[in-house]
Amino acid sequence: MTRRKMFFRMITASLIRRRSRMLVALLAIAVGATILSGLVTIYYDVPRQMGAQFRNYGANMILVPSVESDAFETMRTVDDIMLNIIPNEQLVGVAPYRYETVSIHDQPVIAAGTEMAGARAASPYWHIDGAWPSKSGEILLGGETADLLGLKSGDKLTLVYTPEISDETPENENLSGQENGQENAPENADQSGQESADEADYIPGSELEMEVTGILETGGSEEQYVYLTLKDLQELTGSAGRLDVIELSVSATREQLEHYAERINMDIDMENVTAQLVKRVTQSESTVLTKLQALVFLVTAVVLALIMICVATTMTAVVTERRKEIGLRKALGASDQSIIGEFMGEGLLLGGVGGILGSGLGFAFAQYVSMNVFNGSIQFQPLLLPLTVIVSILVTGCACLLPVRSATDVDPALVLKGE
Amino acid sequence: MFLRMIKGAFLRQKGKMLMIALTVALGASLATAMLNVMMDVGDKINQELKTYGANITVVPKAASVLNNLYEVEGGGLAEGAYLREDELGRIKTIFWAFNIVDFSPFIDTEIELDSGNKATLVGTWFNHHLDLPTGETLDTGVKNLRTWWDITDGAWLDEQSINHISNPVMIGSLLARQENLGAGDEIKLKTRYGEENAYIIGVYEAGGDEDHQIFAPMDFVQDLSNTDGKLTSIEVSALTTPDNELAEKAAKDPSSLTIKQYETWYCTAYVSSICYQIQEVITDSIASPVRQVADSEGAILEKTELLMALITILSLVGAALGISNLVTASVMERSGEIGLLKALGAQDGAVSALVLSEVILTGVVGAAVGYLIGFGFAQIIGQSVFGSAIEMKLMVIPIVLILVIFVTLAGSIPAIRMLLRLRPAEVLHGR
Repeated sequence: MTRRKMFFRMITASLIRRRSRMLVALLAIAVGATILSGLVTIYYDVPRQMGAQFRNYGANMILVPSVESDAFETMRTVDDIMLNIIPNEQLVGVAPYRYETVSIHDQPVIAAGTEMAGARAASPYWHIDGAWPSKSGEILLGGETADLLGLKSGDKLTLVYTPEISDETPENENLSGQENGQENAPENADQSGQESADEADYIPGSELEMEVTGILETGGSEEQYVYLTLKDLQELTGSAGRLDVIELSVSATREQLEHYAERINMDIDMENVTAQLVKRVTQSESTVLTKLQALVFLVTAVVLALIMICVATTMTAVVTERRKEIGLRKALGASDQSIIGEFMGEGLLLGGVGGILGSGLGFAFAQYVSMNVFNGSIQFQPLLLPLTVIVSILVTGCACLLPVRSATDVDPALVLKGE
Repeated sequence: MFLRMIKGAFLRQKGKMLMIALTVALGASLATAMLNVMMDVGDKINQELKTYGANITVVPKAASVLNNLYEVEGGGLAEGAYLREDELGRIKTIFWAFNIVDFSPFIDTEIELDSGNKATLVGTWFNHHLDLPTGETLDTGVKNLRTWWDITDGAWLDEQSINHISNPVMIGSLLARQENLGAGDEIKLKTRYGEENAYIIGVYEAGGDEDHQIFAPMDFVQDLSNTDGKLTSIEVSALTTPDNELAEKAAKDPSSLTIKQYETWYCTAYVSSICYQIQEVITDSIASPVRQVADSEGAILEKTELLMALITILSLVGAALGISNLVTASVMERSGEIGLLKALGAQDGAVSALVLSEVILTGVVGAAVGYLIGFGFAQIIGQSVFGSAIEMKLMVIPIVLILVIFVTLAGSIPAIRMLLRLRPAEVLHGR
C-alpha cells in the first residue's frame, strides 16, 4: 500500500468511524459558510436593491430645454439618444411633461400633458383617489384644483384652450425652467400664458370633453394641476412635439448620475437639452444609502467574526478530544509532520465540503431574503464560491492546527495517560 | 454530593468549561448585538430619513385652495389667509410632540430688487431657539429642514450669533448670479410697505425653486411686508410609523372610525394622525402629508426593518447551531466519565442531571458575559454608523437567556442520551 493510499484511507476511515463527531464538525463549518456566503451576497446586493426602494422618492434627474432652444423637438429624439447613455435596466421611469394654461368652468388651470405610465413609474408616491387615466378623453385632477372646481371622480368637464400667438418665450421661463423644471416650469408656463394671452388678439379656443377618472393627492404643488395624456393636450392645442421637462427616475449612484448628466450635457446631438440632478433627492439618497450600506457592512463583519470564532472553537473541541489518538500514533512511531498533515487533510476535506454546502445554503438564504424584502431575485456572485471554500478551509485548518500542535508537542506517554 | 461533583467538574475541567463558556458567550453576544440593533434600526433609519426634509406641511385653510394658484399674480395674500405665529409652540404640545423632530414657519412676500427684478423673499427660522411651554428647549429651522443645500459662498445664517449685523439674509445661487451678488454684499429690498438694506451672509444652492429666492429671518420679513405675527405655511418634520389600512381609512375621514379604531389611530404615530393633531392646535389650518417624503419613508423603513430582521434570524440560527454543536461535542467527549459514573451504579437520571446542570451553569455564565460584549458590539455599530448610541432594550435579556438555555439543552440532551445508551464497559474500553 502506498503512502498516499494509506493517507486517504486513514482520513476516510476517521470520518466514517467517528461519524457523529464529524457530523458535528461539518455542521459547524457549514453554518459558518452559510452565514458567510449569505451575508456577503446580501451585502453586495443591498445597495442595488435599496437604491431601487429609494426611487420611491421620484425623479432624480430632469431634462429641460437649454437656454437657446425653447423646447424639445420630440420625445423620440430624446428617447433615442438617452438609450445610448443611460442603460435601460437603470431607467425606472421616464415622464415627459408639457404645461399649458387651459380653463375649466372659466377658471384658469394649468394642464400638464404627460404619459401616464411614465408618470406613474417616475412618481410612485402619487396617491390617486380613483383611477389613473387609461385612455384618451380621461383626466386626472390635482386635489386642490378639484376642491376649487368642486369636481370629483366620474364627473365630466370641458377643457378650453386659448392659443397664444407669440412664439417668443419670456426670458425667465428658460432660466427657471432649466434649474428646477418640476415645480417652477408650470408657474412660468402660467405666467407666459397669461402674458401672451394679454398681448394676443382674441382667438376662439378649442375645446375638449374630458371625464375625471381620479383625484391626485401628493401634499405638494402637483395638486394644483390637472393631468391628461400628451396626445389629448396636443389635440387640444393643435401643436405637437413641445415638451417643457422630462423627469427621469434612474436607479444609479450619485456619481453615476453626475456622469450621465455630464454626458448628456456634452452630447452634440442633444445640445438643446440640459440634464440636471434633483439635488434634494440625490443628495439625501446618497447620505441615507451610505449609512445603510455601512450598517449592513458592520453587521456582516460582526456576525462573521463571531461565527468564525464559534466554528473555530467547535473544531478545536472536536480535535482536542483526539489527543489520545495522536499520542497513540506518536507512540507507534508516526512523525509529527505526518500527524499534522493528516489532520490538515481532514480539515481540508471538511472545510471544502462544508464550504460548498454553505455556499449553496447561503445563496438560498440570500435569495429568500431578497424575495421577501425586495420582491426580486438576487445576483449570484460566482467569486463567492471559491472564497467561501477557502475561508472555511482556512478557519478549519487554523482551528485544528493549535490543538494538534499542542498534542504532538507533548510526550506521547503523558498524552496517553490522559493529562 | 451533587453540588460537590459539579464544583469538582468546574475546577478540574477548567479548560473544557471555559471553551463552552467562550462559545456560549460568542453566540450570546452575537444574538444580543443583532437583537439590539434590529430593534433600534427603525428609529435610527427614521432619523436618517429626516434628511429629505419636512414630511408634513401646514397651510391656512382659506389659502390652501386659492392662494397657491393666484399668488403669482397678486404678490400678496388675501387678508385672513394666514396662520398665527403665536400658536407655533403648540406644535410641540400635541400627543406625538416627542416625534416632532423639526419645524419651521414660513412667510413669503414679493420684493423688488435694485435692478427692478422681482423675487420672492421668504421669512423663516434658520436655527431658531425655542423655549417650549413644557420647559424643554429646541433649536429648529431650515438649517435642519434643508440639509441638501450647498453653501457656495459665505456661511449659514446663524440666528443666535448675528445680532451685530442688521438684516442678514441668504440668497439663492441663481438669483445671486443673475444679480451679480455674493456673500458680504448689501442689497436693497423693496416692498409696497417700505424698503430695507440687507446684508448677504451666504449664497446657497438648493437645486430647485429656492435658488431664485431670498431667505431672511422671520421678523425682518414680517416688518417689511406688514404681516406681524402672521405665517403663510409651516413645515414639520416628524418621525412616523408606516401607514397601514387603518391609517389610510382614517386619513380619508377620521369620523368613519369606531371609537376603538379612532383611539388606536390617534395614539399611533401615523403621519395622518400627526397631521390631525396639528390641525387641532393650529387655528384654521390644513396639515397634509408630503407624499413624496412620507410614503417613501414608510417603504424604506419597512424594507430595512425586514432586512435586519432576516439577518438577525440568520445570525440567531447560526449562533444557536454553533452553541449546540459545541455542547454536543464537549458532552460526547465525556463518554469516559459518564461510563464510569454508570459503572459505579449512578442512575441515568442522576447522570443527566449532573451533566445538564454543569452545561447550563456554564452556559448562563457565558450568556451573561456575552450579553455585555454583545451590547458593546451594538454600541460600536450604532456609533460608527449613526453616530448615536443604540438604545438598550430590556426585552433582549430574557430572549438571549431563553435562547441560550434552550440551545444548550437541545445540544446536550441528544448527546447524553446517546452516551447513556452505550454500555459502560464499552465506553470505558474506549468503544
